[in-house]
Amino acid sequence: MNCTSCQKPMQGSLLVCAACGAVQGDGAAAIDYFQALGVERKFGLNAGDLEREFHRLSRRLHPDRFVRATAEEQQNSLRATALLNDAWRTLRDPVERVEYLLKIEGHAVGEEHAGKGKSAERQPPPDLLEEVFELNMQLEELRMSQKMGETAEASVVADLTAAATRFEAMLQTVDERLAVEGAKWDSGESRAQAASRMIELLDRRRYVRNLVRDVRETLKTAA
Amino acid sequence: MAYSDKVVDHYNNPRNVGTLDKSSEEVGTGLVGAPECGDVMRLQIRVNPETQVIEEAKFKTFGCGSAIASSSLATEWVKGKTVSEALEIKNTDIVKELALPPVKIHCSVLAEDAIRAAIGDWKKKNGVAETEAVAAH
Repeated sequence: MNCTSCQKPMQGSLLVCAACGAVQGDGAAAIDYFQALGVERKFGLNAGDLEREFHRLSRRLHPDRFVRATAEEQQNSLRATALLNDAWRTLRDPVERVEYLLKIEGHAVGEEHAGKGKSAERQPPPDLLEEVFELNMQLEELRMSQKMGETAEASVVADLTAAATRFEAMLQTVDERLAVEGAKWDSGESRAQAASRMIELLDRRRYVRNLVRDVRETLKTAA
Repeated sequence: MAYSDKVVDHYNNPRNVGTLDKSSEEVGTGLVGAPECGDVMRLQIRVNPETQVIEEAKFKTFGCGSAIASSSLATEWVKGKTVSEALEIKNTDIVKELALPPVKIHCSVLAEDAIRAAIGDWKKKNGVAETEAVAAH
């Protein structure tokens, strides 16, 4: 890809030409978040580098710098800034980054692949299901008593708090495994396998995360 | 997204909510979950050992309206059927009956899975081989 203004090959972020400083026009809309931030398309990005690059590009693209420029340049600055912000918000979060990268690599993630394929193969492990079901039962009990204006039983609150902590630890483990699979993918070995493992891990994560959120919210009102 | 009248009806008046004795020989329990949305569904059946007819079915579902309606409908449908008849219930039948939109089709898949899991559990308890039961029909 070459700069739309000076025609030199683009380096780093595809939003702005490193050589002449021109903010790129319409064509930039088709670039992905990795290209926007000028980083390699991979899972294991250095958080500090990413942030530095974001701030540097933010300053270069900022609409305030283009108040006396042409209408087209102002337009480009606005568009590029919006895209840069989206890219930053997505890529700085390791989990969102995984989801995004898998998506642009053509994998169906989350609800998109719901109900597809043999569901039995994608069933969460039985012990996890059992625990999730029990936790939901306790949660319902707690909500019921709250609705009736009763104070929740201390034992129920304690059980739920312990469960929430346990599930949060589970999330931690999932995140660590995501990082391991991401590193495998980055190294270029058996990418398909790493990708399908990551999709599974994301499913598990979503499952547990929603539950933890529900438990924490209900406990807050119980306190 | 608007739910169909039938979904709303099952959601507001779910049929057969409850629990059967998990340890009973006559009871099969299916516990399934949808990882994409966090739904979890338990469906239980009590089978007459003589006739293999499902005489009672109960469910408990934590999930969206479509998941609750799908499992409620599933319990209604399996009741009075033999085990092998119940295995013929397809998720597409549930989709049709409840007029589920495409994004909620996985709820019906979950209900079908739950039926199969409950029957599978009952078969395991009673030493019925998968193929045998189908052939006996």
